[in-house]
Parts: sequence; structure tokens; C-alpha cells
Amino acid sequence: MKRVMLLVLVFVVASAMVFAGGGKETGPEPKTIRIAEQVPGLITPGVWDGQAFSMNSSIYEYLVEINTETGAIDPVLATSWSTDDGSVWTFNLRKEVKFHDGTAFDAEDVKYTIERTQDPAIGHLKKQDFEVVSSIETPDPHTVVIRLHESRPTFIYQLTDYNMPMLSSSYDYAKLGESKPMGTGPFVMQQLIPKESAALVRNTAYWATDLPKVDRLSIYFVADIDASISMLESDRVDVVPFVTPVIKNRLDSVDGISVISPYQEQRFISMAVDQKPFDDNRVRLALKYAMDPQVIARSVAQMDLNDGIYYNETPIMNMLAEYKDLPLRGRDIEKSKQLLAEAGYPHGVSVELYYASDHPFGKELSQTIQELAAPAGFDIELKGFTRDIYLSQYWLNVPFSITGWGGRIDPSMLLALAFKTGGSWNESHLSDSRVDALIDKISAEVDVEKRTGYYHELQQLFFEEGSLINVQVPYLVAINDRVIGYRQPLTMIPQYKYMDIR
Amino acid sequence: MNRITRLVLQRLGSLLATLVIMSFIIFMLVEIMPGDVAQMILGQSATEEAVAALREARGLNDPVLQRYVRWVGALATGDLGESIYMQGVAINSILWRRVGHSLVLALAAFILFVPLSIFLGVLAGVKEKKPTDSVISFFGLATMALPEFVSGVILITVFAVTLDWFPIVSVIPIGETLFGNLDILVLPALSITFVMFGYVSRMQRSSMISVMNSDYVRAAILKGMPRRYVIFRHALKNALLPTITIIGMNMGWLFGGLVVVETLFGFPGMGSLLMTAIKTRDVPLIEACVLLITVIYSLSTMVTDIMYSYLNPRIRYQGGQR
Repeated sequence: MKRVMLLVLVFVVASAMVFAGGGKETGPEPKTIRIAEQVPGLITPGVWDGQAFSMNSSIYEYLVEINTETGAIDPVLATSWSTDDGSVWTFNLRKEVKFHDGTAFDAEDVKYTIERTQDPAIGHLKKQDFEVVSSIETPDPHTVVIRLHESRPTFIYQLTDYNMPMLSSSYDYAKLGESKPMGTGPFVMQQLIPKESAALVRNTAYWATDLPKVDRLSIYFVADIDASISMLESDRVDVVPFVTPVIKNRLDSVDGISVISPYQEQRFISMAVDQKPFDDNRVRLALKYAMDPQVIARSVAQMDLNDGIYYNETPIMNMLAEYKDLPLRGRDIEKSKQLLAEAGYPHGVSVELYYASDHPFGKELSQTIQELAAPAGFDIELKGFTRDIYLSQYWLNVPFSITGWGGRIDPSMLLALAFKTGGSWNESHLSDSRVDALIDKISAEVDVEKRTGYYHELQQLFFEEGSLINVQVPYLVAINDRVIGYRQPLTMIPQYKYMDIR
Repeated sequence: MNRITRLVLQRLGSLLATLVIMSFIIFMLVEIMPGDVAQMILGQSATEEAVAALREARGLNDPVLQRYVRWVGALATGDLGESIYMQGVAINSILWRRVGHSLVLALAAFILFVPLSIFLGVLAGVKEKKPTDSVISFFGLATMALPEFVSGVILITVFAVTLDWFPIVSVIPIGETLFGNLDILVLPALSITFVMFGYVSRMQRSSMISVMNSDYVRAAILKGMPRRYVIFRHALKNALLPTITIIGMNMGWLFGGLVVVETLFGFPGMGSLLMTAIKTRDVPLIEACVLLITVIYSLSTMVTDIMYSYLNPRIRYQGGQR
């Protein structure tokens, strides 16, 4: 028995020696915001999959950013910019900016970052969007001139995409991007433990001397959202993104914790216009008449309509300035039945609805649609698959589907990809010369008022004979009330440099 | 050659064979998992070009057998490969830290449940059909019936939320080590104890009862030896054999399969790493974790067999009698 005890003791001491290391720090408590995030996938800009937002957006930085209050474009690494008709863009860059490795940020880095989108070895997610760039000139270290193949008055919004932070032309992102992310941002990576945590500290050489407001960001990667919420409730973390409506309802009664919805994400319920039964606009209308937006809002997000969750029948989000305030259709089952009968389906119609079952709101939305459409004669069979299977095998090929689309601060790019003839993500297989012409006019029009007019025309067209229902579901973040000034615009990039702790 | 040495060598040989077969099965199982890794990684905004570029970069386009041989070849040199996500980060650097954490948790649970279950099992066996036995047996059955995610939640509610004695989640604060935060081990270890207590104490109880009814124990009692002496010196030694088997058989689970407990408590061990790997289809990481668990299972079974034959003279000397 003594020998066993001795062995146990030796094991404990040995493991203590292996795992011993940094003890608790002493001195004045640094201001720290603690975050529980999902476990990130790829984090190298270009192929960054849109997880680990708090980490990447604090290390990297963009030419411009979206002001969360006004929606305007604010200068960051570019101090000013100008364009003629949208085909030549001149950016003046901020001086005295340094990357975390000490090298200076200049025009060559901007050129490198944009040219990198076309590198076939990377598989850059913004490749398509930047194919419009014809040349990049750097007349001096702090000026960049970008020439486009055609006029793009809203091109600047492309530079707010989360995959477009400015990268150093002298850093090996292919080798170090996943393990040692490095940019010009307000925080520097101190320690990254893969799939476990990241410790970020204030960038002491940051160009804005009064930012960031806190000293550290402690980011835990937690696979399970319930464990993240436990950490929030036991005061181990301050911020938990990607909260579900059910959790929100529970946290609403907890003192000191708020759940906010900085923006919405879109769910397109798409009907393929070249496949039965939705090749007939009367069937599409019948489905729309069977919907009850308030019921969808309550059952999907447990919120009231227009209070965090929105509904329309166009590709434009309700919160955007381009949105045309169209009236709600109102649920009318009789009309729905009549339309179905006129289209040749007097006894109703069977159709399969495909969706990603593991994507937030996928299951709830599909079930609600199934229930609401049933009285009108739609016999909907639900076909849920995990997201990768849905996207790689069914999306773009099926007659009826629900797909998640991130919000776009400039909807014109999404229009070209998703609704123009031959667009690479044209899930409803729309091929309408009127829609194509309007999309072309929208992307080329310099005058904002005229552009908005085209947007309104397009939305009217979608309302009358369109191929989608657009439910805008809330993106929810749970925050300890100690954190002040939480900012996260539609670009999804949280701006931790402005946040403070009470 | 010493019989024990021969047994160890024999066992090591079959362990190697098991590993080769298992490595193939694991590789093929992961291979037929539905879905596309590259699509999974890049998400919806991935263009076909991006997916193709990623597949090429990660060597996913090569034939299955070629990839298997490459993987096994690297394994033989101790290289577990790279995580499909963390390019430039070897799995070795992620995995062993987690394995260390899991070992400490397993050890904590072991220290908790082994003496407790054996002691209470012996007590129940000795006091057969008395109130003490009924109470212990009831608790044994109750904890056995509770899955760990239920007992875990109960423990969290009682000890972390209501009493506030232990942390709700078992994460290691950033910049600190597990040994500076040993309190995070208590609830997960208790939760494992709940699962194991029922099995071990019931096994101990029944073997104790059968040994106590055997002739030699009765003879010892009739000879007038003190009861305590008979129980601990004569009976316990023999009654421990089946218990050791049960504990040994569960060591593999204890050291490598705590997926549910670790995920529930957010404990950064191998189980939660495996869970993350499966969720994100991180194929090389899944393969490394599962293979390591196989090794642990095989090793613990081997150690149990050896210990058993060491403790049980009937098995130890069987060869000699032939």
C-alpha cells in the first residue's frame, strides 16, 4: 500500500512540474474584457470562415470601418479617399502606422492585400469581388490609386469585408496566418493556445493614442454554447456571441446581463423559378399569402415582428436605407388556395424544402413554414442536412430551400451574385432581363438618389413576382453590463477598441 | 523466460496488431463520414475555386490509400500531422497538453472513487441485508442509473450555483495553469465518481459476500480470529480481484473517453478536444485522438490482465501445472 501511495505522490509531483509555469500575476489589475467564442476554424484573412470575430478583428485592421451609430464610412488606415465616377479610387493612407512586427504600413501593403485576393493558391473568398480591379498604383508610400474595369460607385464597401484587413507584404501569412496572426490592429496576440484560448494585449504602438480603452482581451474558445453561458453567469467571461433566442429569454431575467442584437442576418426562402411547382408565379404568390410574418417572428426568434426580427419579400434588408417600405401582404388562405387552383393544383401541391439543420434558425424556420403553408394546400416535406452537406450537395440545385446570407452593407454585390442571370449563387435560378437591367443600373449609378430609385423599382418587382421570402433573424450577443460601448456593425466586425469596462 | 515477461511481450505484440487494424478502421470510418471538409471549413461564401484550392493545399484530392499510407508512415515516426485548420501547428502541440489535463482529471477521479467504492462495497457486503447495505446499494443503483450529463447538472446546481463552493465551468483562466486551479477538477471528478461508484461498489459487494461465505473465511471466524482481521487480511484480498478487473476495464474510458463530462464542464481535456474535432470535421485531429484512445484502452486492458495474473495465483501458476 505504501508503495502505491509513493507512486501516486511521484506522479502528482511529476505532473505538477510538467504543468507548472506562470503563476498568478501581481500588480494593479489590468482592464480586461473576457469573451467566450466558438472554436475558430481557419483564421487567416482571405479564407477566414467568419468565426473568432473578437480575436481577428482586434488584431487586424481595415482601410475604413462602418460607424455603428450613423452607418457612415469612417477612416481607419485610410485617412481620406476620392473617386471620379467610381472607376478610379484614390486612397490617402495614415502615416506612422506600424505592424505588430515593427514594420511600417504603407501603400505597398495595400497593393499586396488586394492583389492577394487573386492568388489561386490561396482560394481567397473575396476573389470574385475584386476581379473588377484592373490595376493598383502606388505613386508614393501613402497614396494608393485603384483602377477598376468598370464604374463601381460603392466599391469602397468591399474594403469593409471581414476578409479584407490590411496585411503586411513582408509577412508569411501562408505559414504563420493560423498560428501567429499579425496586423496593425489595436491589440497584439500574446499567447494563442490552439482550440483553447487566446490572450491579446494592448498594442502600445497603436496610431490612435487614446485607443484601445482596455488593456487586455482574454478569449476562450468554447465549443458548447451552454458552457459559454455558464461562464457568463458565473462571471468568468463578459461577452458571449451567437446566443440563441431560447437563451436570450432565460437571460432576460438575469440581473447584470443584457442580450443585444447588433444586426440581423438574412434567411432567404428561395423558390427556383425554372422548376415545378414554383415556375408559376401564382404558386409563389400562394406561398406568400399563406405566410404570417408575426407567427414566424414569434416561433422562430420568440420576438415580435420588427423588434429584432424582420420579414419582407425582397433581397433588401429592412434596416438598410435602400429598403422600400412595402406593405405586409397579410395572410389570406382562401386567396392562396385559389391561386394554387388557378396554377393547376386544385388539390394542393407537394414540395420538398431543403435547409441546413445545424444552422441557427434553420429548423425553426422550416417547421414554421411547413405549418403555415399546410392549410393552403402545400404539403411540404422537410429535408434538413448538416450545413456542409446542404451547401455542397443541395444548395443551388433544389426547387425550394432556406439559406443563410450575411447582411451586406452594400446590397449591390449580393444582387449580382444571387439574382442576376448566371450569377454564381443564383439559388432561385432567376433569369429576368428586367431584374438584370436594374442590377446593372444599381451597380453603375453614381447618384445616390437615382440608385435608391432603382432599388425601389427592383423591390416592387420582387414583391409582385419575386422568388424569395427574406426573413431577417437576429444575431444575438449576451453581455455583462460592466462592458460599455459594445459596437458591432452589419459587417460583423466587433470594434473592441472602443469598448470599455466599468 | 519469466512467465510475466512472456505475457507482457505477447500482449505488446497483440497491441501492435490491434493498432494497425484499428488505424485502418479509424481512417476508413472518418473517410466515409458524410460531408466535405473543405466546404465545411470555408462555409457558404466559398466559391468552387476556393474549395478546390483548399482541397489541393491540404492533400485531400489524393487517393484514399495513398493518404492512409502517408498518415501511418508519419505516425510511425511520432508525427501526428497537422490540424486541418491550424496550418503550421502540429497536432502534437495541441494534443499532449490536453492529454495531460485529462490524465490529471482521471487521476483525481480515481483517487476519489476507488477507495470510496471499495470501502462502501466491502461494508455493504459484510452487512448484507442490513440497513447499511440497503442504503449503499440504493445509492449505487441510483448513481449508476444517472447518466453523467444529468449527475453533472445536479452537481453544478448544488455545489456551484446554490452553495457556490466550486466553479460552474472547469476552464483554466488565461495565463494560468491547471495546478493553480485545482478546484476546477472537483465537480467533473465527482461526476465521474457517480458513474463509477455504482459499478465498482456493487461488484465489490457481491464478491465480498461470496468470499465471506466461503469455507476458509468461516473457518477463520470459527477459529476465533477477530472479525476485522478476517475481513481485511483474508477476505478482502480475494474479494478485490473482480473489482480490479472492473476498474481496469474502465481505465480506458476514464483516461480517454470523458467526452461528455469534459464538454459539459468545458474542461480543456482530450474528450472536449475530440468533440471539437468531430464538430468541425478536423479529420487528422479526430484520427489522432481516436487512435490515442485505442492505445489507452489496449494498454489498460493489458495492465489489468497482468495485474490480475500477478494477484491471482491460480492464473499465475496455471502454466506450471500443465
